[in-house]
Amino acid sequence: MKNIIACLWLSMLFMSCGRFSNEDKKEDHQERIVCISKQYAEIIYALGAEEDVVAVDLSSTYPPEIKELPTIGYHRALSTETILAMKPTLILHDNNIGPEHVVNQLEKLEIPMKTFGQYEPTIAGTDSLIQEMGKYFGKEAAADSLVNKLHADMEQALAQARQYTEKPKVLIIHFGRASNVYLVMTQKSTAARMLEWAGGEMAVNAERGMKQLSPEVVAAANPDVILLTDFGYDRLDKGNEIEKLPGISATNAFKNKRVFRIEEHDLVYLGPRTAENVLLIQQLIHNNEKE
Amino acid sequence: MKRSRIGVIFLSLLLLLILLALISAKYGAVEISNQEIWEALVRISKGQELMDLNERIFMQIRLPRVIMGIFVGAALAVGGVLMQALFRNPIVEPGLVGTSSGAAFGAALYFVLGATFQWNLGEWTLPVAACLGGICSTALVFYLSRSRNSSKSSVVSLLLTGIAINALFLSGVGFLSYIARDPQARSITFWNLGTLSGAYWQGVLFVVVVTVSCLLLSLRYAKNLNALMLGEQEAQLLGMNVNTLKMKVLLLNVIMVAVATAFVGVIGFVGLIVPHLLRMLHGSDNRYLIWSGALMGAVVLTASDLVARLLLSPAELPIGIVTSMVGVPIFIVLLRRTNYFF
Repeated sequence: MKNIIACLWLSMLFMSCGRFSNEDKKEDHQERIVCISKQYAEIIYALGAEEDVVAVDLSSTYPPEIKELPTIGYHRALSTETILAMKPTLILHDNNIGPEHVVNQLEKLEIPMKTFGQYEPTIAGTDSLIQEMGKYFGKEAAADSLVNKLHADMEQALAQARQYTEKPKVLIIHFGRASNVYLVMTQKSTAARMLEWAGGEMAVNAERGMKQLSPEVVAAANPDVILLTDFGYDRLDKGNEIEKLPGISATNAFKNKRVFRIEEHDLVYLGPRTAENVLLIQQLIHNNEKE
Repeated sequence: MKRSRIGVIFLSLLLLLILLALISAKYGAVEISNQEIWEALVRISKGQELMDLNERIFMQIRLPRVIMGIFVGAALAVGGVLMQALFRNPIVEPGLVGTSSGAAFGAALYFVLGATFQWNLGEWTLPVAACLGGICSTALVFYLSRSRNSSKSSVVSLLLTGIAINALFLSGVGFLSYIARDPQARSITFWNLGTLSGAYWQGVLFVVVVTVSCLLLSLRYAKNLNALMLGEQEAQLLGMNVNTLKMKVLLLNVIMVAVATAFVGVIGFVGLIVPHLLRMLHGSDNRYLIWSGALMGAVVLTASDLVARLLLSPAELPIGIVTSMVGVPIFIVLLRRTNYFF
C-alpha cells in the first residue's frame, strides 16, 4: 500500500517536472499571489482575476493556460523554500495543505495567508464562494454573471434529469488501477453529488469519499456505466486496454461499451463549471436513452 | 604510517563536510546572497531582531536544516557501525532491532488517530510519538528474544526477532495507511521517505545533545567491540561481560536512532553503507570507524539533502529517495573494485 502511494506520487512528480521549470513571467508584479487550491484557482480564472497569480499547486489544471504558470508542487507535500522562492505577497489555500511543519514555518515567517469561507458543498455554497471571491478581487459583476450561468445550466440539467426513466448505476474509478485494486469514488464524494444531479446513482457505497475495491466487488456491483478519470484512462493505452482490467469485462458497462473518460478536474470539486459538467455527465450516462 | 593514513581520511572527511555544509547553507530554492547571510549572523550575534525575509529564511529554515542533516547523518552512521560490530554481520543496519519501523508506526498512529485522541504537545507531538514507538518496538524485540532457559539473549535470536518485529510493525504502518484518509496517508508516505525540511532550532538542539553524548559514550566501548569481533566466547575468555556490553551498545544505538528518526522520518541506507565504505578504506578498527563514521554519515546526508533540494529545484525530493539513489551505485562500484571482506 505504502509503495503504491509512493509510486503514484513519484510518477506524478516526474510527469509534472515540466511545470516546475515554467518561467516566471510576472517578476515585475508588486502583488504576487500563490494559490494552493484547485477550486480557488478555477474561480480566480473564471472571474478574470488571474493577473497577480504567480504560481499554483500541481493539481490545479483548469483552465488549460494555468499550466503555463510555475508550480510549487503537490498541495499535501509542499516545501517552504519552494513557496518562498516565488516571493509571495499572499498565499491562498483551502486548509487542505501539508505537511504540517511547512504551514508552521510559513506562519512563523509571517507570510500572509488567506482562506475563503468554508461553504456547504452545494450549488448555493458554491454561489457564496464565488460571490465572496468576486468581492475580494473587486470583480462583483463577473461573479454575478458566473452565478447566473451556473443556476441556468443547473436548472436545465435538473429538468432533463427528471425526464429520464432509468437511473443508471455508475462506477467512477479514480487514477485507474494499482495492483488490480480499484480506487473508486463513493456516495460521500463530490462526484456522487454531481452524479445524482445528473440522474444517476453510485454503484458502491462507503463511509469515505474514496475506497479501494477488489475486482470481485467491481464485478458484483455490475455498474451500467464506468467513468475513468483522465490519468488512469490514458495510461490504459487511451482506453484500448480496458478489457484487460480484471473484473471490468464482466460488467454491463463494458459489454454495452459504456466505459468513458472524464477529466479529474471536472469531478472532484464544485465551481463555476459544475452545472456544465453535470450536463456532460448526463450525456455520458444517458446517451443510450436518446437513441 | 597507519596513523597518518587515518589522519588523512579524517582530515579530508572534515574538509569535505565543512565545504558541503557551506554550499548547503548557501544554495536552495530561495536565493540568499552572502551579504544577507553575513548580516543575519551579525544581527543574531548582537541579539537583534532579524528584519529582512531572506535573513529569516536563512536563520529559521536553512541553517537548522543543515545542522540537523549533519547530526542525523552522524547518528545513523555511528548506529550502523555499532550494530554491525555487535552482530558481526555485514547486512545489519541500525533500524534492525525494530527501532525505525517502531518509530514509523508511532508516527503513523499519530497521523491517523492524533486528531481523534487530541494528543497535543505542539511541535513535539510527532517526535514524541515516533520516539516512543521506536523505543517500545525495540523493548519488545529484547523481551521476545530472551531465550527461555537462560536470561541472556543470543545474537542470532535477537537478529531474527528484530526482522520479525520489523515486519510486524511495517504491516501495522501499511494497515494504518490503508485505513487513513488521503491527506493522512500522504503524511505517512512523506514521513517514511524522510525529510529534513521540518527542522527547527529546539529539535536541532535536542538531536545535537543526544548524538554527541551517545557518540562520546560509544567510544568507550570501541575496544571491547574490537575484541567481540573474535567471537562471543572468545571475548568472554578475555574477561569481558559480553551481555552487559551488548545491552549498553544496543541502548546507545536505540536512543540515537530513535531520536534522529523521530525528527526527520525514516532515512534508509546511510547506516548500512557508511560503515562498509570506511572498512574498504581502512579496515575494521571500531575506534576509527566510530569517529570517521560520524563524519562520513554527516557528509553523505548533507550531500543527499543538497541533491534532494537542487535536483528538481524549486521542488524538493524526500531525502530517503536520494540516499538510496545516489548511495547504491557508489556502493556497488566500490564493492566490485575492492577485495572486500567484512
